[in-house]
This record gives sequence, structure tokens and C-alpha cells, in this order.
Amino acid sequence: MSDGPLIVQSDKTLLLEVDHPSAPEARKAIAPFAELERSPEHIHTYRLTPLGLWNARAAGHDAEQVVDALLKWSRYAVPHALLVDVAETMGRYGRLRLEKHPVHGLVLSSTDRPVLEEVLRAKKIAGMVGARLDDDTVAVHPSERGNLKQALLKIGWPAEDFAGYVDGEAHAIDLDQSTWTLRPYQSEAAQSFWDGGSGVVVLPCGAGKTLVGAAAMAHAQATTLILVTNTVSARQWKDELIARTSLTADEIGEYSGAVKEVRPVTIATYQVLTTRRKGVYPHLELLDARDWGLIVYDEVHLLPAPIFRMTADLQARRRLGLTATLVREDGREGEVFSLIGPKRYDAPWKDIEAQGYIAPADCVEVRVTLPDGERLAYATSDPDTRYRLASCTHAKIDVVRDLVRQHAGQPTLVIGQYIDQLDEIAAMLDAPVIKGETPVKERQRLFNAFRSGEIGLLVVSKVANFSIDLPSAEVAIQVSGSFGSRQEEAQRLGRLLRPKTEGRSAHFYTIVSRDTVDADFAQNRQRFLAEQGYAYRIIDAGDLTAEPS
Amino acid sequence: MLDALLVAGQTTSADLISIVHADEARTSRALQRLLDLALAWEAPGGIRALSGVADAMRGLPVGTSGLRPCSPEPAAPEEVAARLAELGPAATALLRHVDAHGGEGTTGSARRTVTPAQAATPAEELISRRLLVPREGDAVVLPGEVGLALRGGRTTTDPVDEVPDLATTARDAALVARTAAGAAFDVVRRVELLLDHWGLQPPSVLRSGGLAVRDLKLVARELHVDEAGAALIVEVALACGLIAEGTEPDGTPAWLPTEEFDIWSGTPISERWARLVGGWLSSSRVPSLVGSRDAAGKSWNALAPELSSGLAEEARRLALQVLAEVPDGKVLAVGTGVASLVQRIGWLRPRRPTVFAELVSAALVEAAALGVSGAGGLPPSGRLVAEGDLPAAARAIEPQLPRAVDQVLLQADLTAVAPGPLETEVARRMHLLADVESRGGATVYRFTSGSLRRGFDAGWSALEVREFLTSVSQTPVPQPLDFLVDDVARTFGSVRVGHAEAFLRADDEAALAALVHDPRARTLGLRLLAPTVAIATSPIDVLLPRLRELGAAPVVEAADGTVRVSRPDLQRARSRRGRRPAGAVEARQAAQVQAVATAIRAGDRAESSRPSTATTTSPSGALAALREAIESGSTVVIGYVDNHGATGERVVDPRRLDGGRLSAFDHRADDVREFAVHRITGVRRA
Repeated sequence: MSDGPLIVQSDKTLLLEVDHPSAPEARKAIAPFAELERSPEHIHTYRLTPLGLWNARAAGHDAEQVVDALLKWSRYAVPHALLVDVAETMGRYGRLRLEKHPVHGLVLSSTDRPVLEEVLRAKKIAGMVGARLDDDTVAVHPSERGNLKQALLKIGWPAEDFAGYVDGEAHAIDLDQSTWTLRPYQSEAAQSFWDGGSGVVVLPCGAGKTLVGAAAMAHAQATTLILVTNTVSARQWKDELIARTSLTADEIGEYSGAVKEVRPVTIATYQVLTTRRKGVYPHLELLDARDWGLIVYDEVHLLPAPIFRMTADLQARRRLGLTATLVREDGREGEVFSLIGPKRYDAPWKDIEAQGYIAPADCVEVRVTLPDGERLAYATSDPDTRYRLASCTHAKIDVVRDLVRQHAGQPTLVIGQYIDQLDEIAAMLDAPVIKGETPVKERQRLFNAFRSGEIGLLVVSKVANFSIDLPSAEVAIQVSGSFGSRQEEAQRLGRLLRPKTEGRSAHFYTIVSRDTVDADFAQNRQRFLAEQGYAYRIIDAGDLTAEPS
Repeated sequence: MLDALLVAGQTTSADLISIVHADEARTSRALQRLLDLALAWEAPGGIRALSGVADAMRGLPVGTSGLRPCSPEPAAPEEVAARLAELGPAATALLRHVDAHGGEGTTGSARRTVTPAQAATPAEELISRRLLVPREGDAVVLPGEVGLALRGGRTTTDPVDEVPDLATTARDAALVARTAAGAAFDVVRRVELLLDHWGLQPPSVLRSGGLAVRDLKLVARELHVDEAGAALIVEVALACGLIAEGTEPDGTPAWLPTEEFDIWSGTPISERWARLVGGWLSSSRVPSLVGSRDAAGKSWNALAPELSSGLAEEARRLALQVLAEVPDGKVLAVGTGVASLVQRIGWLRPRRPTVFAELVSAALVEAAALGVSGAGGLPPSGRLVAEGDLPAAARAIEPQLPRAVDQVLLQADLTAVAPGPLETEVARRMHLLADVESRGGATVYRFTSGSLRRGFDAGWSALEVREFLTSVSQTPVPQPLDFLVDDVARTFGSVRVGHAEAFLRADDEAALAALVHDPRARTLGLRLLAPTVAIATSPIDVLLPRLRELGAAPVVEAADGTVRVSRPDLQRARSRRGRRPAGAVEARQAAQVQAVATAIRAGDRAESSRPSTATTTSPSGALAALREAIESGSTVVIGYVDNHGATGERVVDPRRLDGGRLSAFDHRADDVREFAVHRITGVRRA
């Protein structure tokens, strides 16, 4: 028995004891191939998944390194079956290669003939490939490059893509680092993306993913299409790019519901691309409007399904995915892997926090008890209206008032799901509210006012979940969320994690109705927080007034 | 050597030595040894094998070299060579093929009596030149002298006195020991887990005596092993007597952990491991065959009684002994190592059937899975196993095994991690309070409201739960877990469920209270649940008349709350018709008298031992008593409700109990009768 910090379980989870002296080293050794699943205070759980192992293969690690790392750091003997499985899984990646053939164009070739035979016999694959060129090579229709990769991943033989990328239309883009510098991890992320060709960079909210995008553009020196979640975030990208790069406002176009500009750097929303009229996507041609050299997907974990289909046709262009988490509520991680690319860079939340780039957060769950009348209404209501009833209880409004009073003077966000409730809270607190119907101009005005400190309190609906930079927010009060969505929790927490002046820590309150589905969903979300290493406290609404701020 | 002698028949020692493909000096020594052992003797005409030796060796179809004895009057080697030279290429190829595959074949359509000139096919060419000799049927054999000629005058083409080398590579001895210890720990843990599970949900025994494929798949999934691994674990458990066929309470045969298992699980891990290895080593079971098909195409089930081989034990011991020859710091090479070991054993034990090689390679796989060997080499503990010293092996592996821990790490995401094997008592409690999420060297538990409720159901209080958590946790109990315990404690028991035969509802609270407290109503088992609701433990038929006696005027409510009026229906039966054939009456009467006499005697016996009514026993008690009676072959009196609902008593000798029916010899009927078990109200010794 050795005394390593790692315990390898037979169900392919790896438990890392955090307080062990050699834990940091072990973490470094296993991070490339294992997915961090949970990082609560004492033991972090990693999982070996085929995708993770293939990601590692794509990053140049081989099975031997993985096995060595496991053997070296493991406290107990490593289950033999697991080692065999690792070697076998990793061996599957790269047996098939997509390459450019000087005569036949795109081809799928293999060093292992039986594998090629096997995949060619699969019904799904058969339609995507063309003539058999020789024993080990088969032609592929260039338009099927993405679909083929996707289908191959599904049958467990992911192909390595060596077919290369088109350079795209050249366009000079440089980072303008006169007033700021790229953080080390940002440039590392951009570099490893560039070396890998295409792929996903995973960074926590507030860690400056926009700058990674900008750095990638500076590497590409080509026209770029940036896909973002909504218009406000599009504007933020634009402002950020103007401030941090040599690009000028004229070079950056916005392609959204309101404006449709196509410039060397174009920022489009997912929504406009996926708008469907009479069964066709009228804005799809944007993808071919220019010879893009780089496509950036912001918040890749939210990428809607139609965009995946479009992305399948863009395999010849470099693709950069940016996200805080590879967890997708719909479980389509495999498509991100095959269509955008493997994970190229990953930095855990806590690490970046420890480096001082994002603010530490204090997470508190406040439990309120439903008044008797509402409790009865809740108990007798339909299951589908229960959540709404539970999350919109009036008891929460009093708590919000108390909390706001407690944190008077600190910039505060109240975040909720249900507009009625938000309106009510806004009226009670006499604060402006931003919701779906608020015009973009008005939204930006309010956000700017909040950022500059003119407004100290803002009530926002879920439109503020993504990609809106409110670095000054110090307190967030969540009154309702969309059921148990874990990524929503991550996003909301992310609002708070931008570094604070004076090193103050952020406060994240969630108000939850006791003994209802609200509490159940909250538990799910908090489990996510705890897994991310944010220990949260639970307090009773009654104790709140006694709680020192 | 002996084989060569048999091939050659009676021969001179010089000839004999010349046909053995080995060093001359060694061959002479071997011949001398055969003579010393009196397996061969020097007859006047030359050396002969002892008669009987041939028969003993012929127990197997062919000798180790695959050659048959020479014909009684063999042709001279030169002549055979000449005949061979005449053959066409097709015939030569055919002959070599026959030689390589046991020296025997069938001719098919080839004619038997042909001359070389007439021969049309390769087979006929061979037969006509007497290079193949026809036997009964259409079989042909290759005579020894032809085989010798084909093999260049020797019985084997390869030298037989060279020991096949073992293919080895260097590997750190510490790693070997660790790998083996890890596997040893895993196998002990898995056996324990499996049998704990089977104790609660035993798989049924197939009619043929094995374990169903579906059950084996379940085991494999439960234990995170493949099916071969699962088969090995259940087979080892069987070999150690940790499981046996038993019966579930409903009488179906099932695989159940034995009492031996309880003793076993109380001993330290190293001893448990040694016990498993001992069972495996000396068992004749062949788990490696599970899942494969026998000659009839039927697949082998795990635990099937036929799944054993007399060679299994020897294969295992030999495999370990040969493996022990690999020095420390070296292991069998990946890929070629196992093959070389099998070859070495084939050389050491040339006369084993071909299946022996398979058994040896299976034994190596099993040894690795059981932690006897690790990474293809034997650790010190494995060497001791090979020497047969299991207690010493247990002591040797002890320091390598993970140490038991008695503390867990509680975390805010409501998980607890035990960073090693938990002590049994702590593990049992953790199992009760939390769900297991992941197993291995460590165990990950998750607390949920459901798992905590399980603890409360088992009688824990919130305080006890908290105290237990504080005592086993290395770190402070995280606040969310505290809250969860409180939440569960608060809702636990907020709805109560009980059993009642009838309820009483009254708007007049005073009247209901009076009724409940009336001493005369005590037998009804009334209990007040709320001021206007009481329940009774006696059924309505009893309750209703009694309440009337007590002066209440109750009304019966139907299930939907409406009032039910009881007006008894008048019942009538149809008048019977029919006529009996004359003459049958006397016969019937005689039979009746006979039956009555038998019944009276039986009745007397019942009477002699009766408290007037048969004691009612619980169904399970009755079943137990019946089984006991079957085993002891004793006579019992059973209370039995007949088709008309009347309870009677029968004196019976129970014979068999299955499918809810008891078949027993009924003393009154003087015959074997079937009784429905659910109608048996009680069982008493006669």
C-alpha cells in the first residue's frame, strides 16, 4: 500500500484527497484526461469518460501516460479491468483519420483495416462516404465532414481530423495591450486552442473568456464570425473588442434581430441564426457570406440544436468554443466534442479564484416558510403550477427587503424567473426592472447606470443570465430559478465573481420555500455549488435579522 | 521415450535411442530408468514395453508424439522412403496432414483395394502403397514406420529434451505485490458484497442446478466485473462452501449464503482471502467454461454441477509452481508469457489431454483475478500459496492490504467518502443512513432524504443520527447535512398508518367517548383517533351485534360513504334429483363401513392427542412444522378447512411440500392426498 492522494474506484471515478501533500501534483497529472465532476471541500471526484480520454488523446497524451499517472498516484492498487479499458478506449481514437488527399479531396483512412470495415458496414456511415479508393482509404463527401465525425463518435470510433482548415480572408487583428495585459491562463488557453486547430476552452464565468476569443482572433488574423447568446452580450463583445484590440467600430458588425451588418468581424446571435420562416432558416447564408477564418461560439453549452446542424457544415473553418462548463442539461457533450472540437483548455474555478482573478463568494440559502393559506393552496394545486406557487410566495418578498436593507450601499442584483414576482419586488423596493420586454437601449442604459454606480439595485429576469458584464455587483439575491438548472446557477453566480475592489467577497443568496418542490430544486442547484467547492450555509428567514452582515 | 518404445514395438536399445529426438546420453539414462521402473524389459528379441503399459497409455487416443505403433511386420525404412518418394504432391500433403492430426482419418469414397497403378485419388495412392492402413469402417491409420519416415526417422520433429523457456520481462517486484494485493482485496470485497446481496435477494437455482445467465449478468453489473469475473467469484464462493442451495421461505430453491459465510466474514481480510484461494486451489470447478458451449451446443451455466474437471486442481497447482520459477523482479512477458508457460507445462506433463492447456491458461487468469499473482508474476504471498502454505500467505499479504478505516469525510454536497475499507460496524450503519454511490478502494456514500428516512424507519432518532455522524466524521458535520437530518426528522411520522378492522364515526362526541370507555366494549378493541372517529380491531360482523347489545344503534357505511341497509337475502338450493343403480348399494355400504372403520381409527388417534380444537398456527409456523415433519417422516395432525368451509382434523404423514400444496398420506382416506397449504389452519404432532 502506498500513500498516494488518489483512489481509483472500479466504476471509473477517481477520488482525490485535497488535503494530501501531493494532491496538487496528482491533480496536474490526472487533469488532462479525467473530468472533474465534483469539487467539494475534502475529496474531489474525477471521472474517466471516453470523451475525456479522447480529449486527452487529442491533446497528445497516450494511454501509457494515463496508466502511469493512475499507478503512480493511486493509494490502492488500480483495478486491472480499468487499466485495460483505458488503453482500449484511448486506442480507439485516431485509428480513423480524416485527411486531405491530393487527388480525391477529403478521405477517411485507417491504419487498422478491420476498424474501417466495421465502420463502413454501419448503416449510418455508409451514406456519408463515397468510393473506396484502396484497402485503407475511402473518399468522403466534403459536405459530410461534420456529420461523419459525429456518426463515428456515436459508434465509438472517433476520427482524428487532419484535413486542416481554410485560412479564410485575411484581416489584421492585434491585441492592444497598452492599458492591460492578457492574464497568463488566457494566453495559454488561446495558444493551446490555436495549436489544436479547433476546440473548446473551459473557463469559469468572469475569468475573461471574451479576451481569450480576442487573443484567438489575433492568432488567426482573419475575418471572424462570433456567435453569442443575445443582443446585449453582442454589444458587450463589440465594446470589449474595440477597447482591447486594434479593431475599430467600423470593422465590427452586428447581426441580430435589429441590425444586420456583415463586416470583417461579425457578431451574430444564436437567435437570429435559428429564426425559421416557412421552414427555412433565412439567415443561414450569413455563415457563407464571407470566407470566415475563425468562428467563435460563446457559451457553447447553450448552443441550440439547429446550430449544431449548421456547424456540421463548417468543419473546414477553425472553431473556438467558449464556455464555463461542458455540462449540458441536454447531454449533448458528444456533439460539442465531434463538431466543435475537443477540450483544449480547462481551469477549475477555485484555481482561478485562488489566483485572485475572480472574487470569492459566500453562498447562503435562506429558507422561508409558506404562510398557512399558501401552503394549502400549494398542496392542492396541480403539479405543474406548484413550482410557481412555491417560488412566488409573498414570504420571499419580505426576505428580499431585509437582505437589501442589510446590504445597503452595496450594488445588488435581484434575480428571478417570474415577471409578476419581479414587478412586485421592484415596486416594493422602488428599483428598475429589466425583463424580456425591456428594449435593448433601455437595458443598456440601466446596465451602464448600474456599472457606474448610479443605481445600486437592479431587478432582473433571466435575460441577465448570460454574458452581461456587471463587474460591480456584490450581492445577488435569487428569488426563483428555472427549476433545477445547474448551469443557470453557475451563470448567476458568475455575475458576482468578477473581481471586486478592496478584495471584498460577493454574497449570493437564494431564497427557498421550505418543504416544497422549490426546496428540492434548490437542493439540486446547491449540490452543484457544493460540487464546485462553494460551501453554502442555510439560514432560516427568521434568523436573518439576527444575522450580522 | 516410453512413447518411442511403444511406437517401435520390440526393438534394440540402439534403434530405440536413435529414433528419440534428443541427446543420446540422456536418452540412455531415460531408457535405464524405464527398465528400473520395470515399465520396459529386455526380452530375448530386444527391449519391450511391459504389456499393459501400452493399454494404459492408449487410454488416450494417441501417444504424446501422435504416432501409432509400427505394423507387426514393418517394411524396412528404405522401402518406406522409396514409397514416399513415389507420391504425388497432393498425396504427400495429405499424408503430412494426417500425420499432424493424430495419424487417423477417414477415406470417404476412396477404394480400399487398389494397386498403385490404379490409384485415382491421393487417398487411393496412399492406401495402395500401404502408407495408410485401412481399419474397420472407412477409417485409415498411419502406421508408425511411415510416421517415423516422415519425421526423418525420429518420433518427433523437435528435440524433446530441451525445457521450453518461459518468456519473461522485468517488472518491479513491489508493483507485482501491490497489484496482487489490490486484486486480493477486491475479490474479498466482491465476494462479501455479492453474498450480502444474495442474502437479501437470492437468485433461484435452475432446474439443472446452475445459476441463470440473467442472474450472472446481474452479478457482473453489481460487482463492476465482466461475466467471466462474476462466474469466477460465484464459483470460488461455492468452492469455499460460502454458498449452497437452500430454499426461500416460499419453498423455491435458491442460492443462499451459508452459515460458513458468517464465520468467514468475521475474520480479517487476509484470512478471508487465504480461505478463498484455498478453496479455489483445491476445487475441481472450471469457472472458465461458463458462457461457452458444450459439445451439444448447450451453454454452461455458472454453478452447474457438471462444471468440473478432475484436471482443474492439478492445472492450477502446476501453473503456480511453474510461475514460481520466475524470479522476483521478473514477470511473464505480455502476450508471449502465458503461451510459453503453457508450453512448459505441456512438456512437463506430455500425456494430458489438450484441454489441460486451456485449464492452465484459465488458471493463470484466475490467479491474477484472485490476487495470487499480480502483473504476471508471483508476489511473496503468491509463492507461499504455490508452496501450499496458506496461513503464511495470509500473513505475507496482510501488510499489503488497505487498512480498515473507521472514519469518513463528510462533505457539503451531502456525500461522505470513506478513504479505505470501513470497519464492519461503521459500514453497516453508513449503509443504513446513506446510499452507496461508488465502490472500490474507497466508498462514496450519498445522504438523501430517502436514505435518512430509512435510518429513522430502523428506529434511529435525529439525535442519534447526528451523534453517529459526528463520531465517524474526521471533519465537522457540514451544515447542509445537519439541515437535511432535521428536515427528514421533522416530516418523519407526520402521516401515520395503522391497521383497523372497522371504524366508528359519530357526530356526538360524548356518545362516542362513552362507547369507547364502556368496560363491556373492551373486547372490541376500540380506540379513539379523533373526537368523532374511533377504530375497532374486531370485524364488522362482531362489532355490529355487540354495539347493538350495548344500546347503540349503528348504521353500516359502504366504501363510498353511503348508508347500507342490511336485509338478509333468503337463500334456496335446487332440489336434488337422481337415482342410484340397484346393486351398487351393498357394495357402497361395504366400502363405507370399511372407510368408516379406517376413519374411526384415524379419529381415535386424532382424539388421543387432541386439545379439542387444533391450535391455529401462523402460516409460516405451519410450513416450518410441515417441513420438519417431512424431514423426520413423522405423523402430524393438521387442522384443515374443507371445500364447504368446515374445519376438520386429519392425521397425515407429510411427504412433499411444493407449489402451495402439501401431499401427504391421509390416515383416514388410507391414501396419499393433496392439501392446499392455505387451508391448513394448524399443525400439531400426533
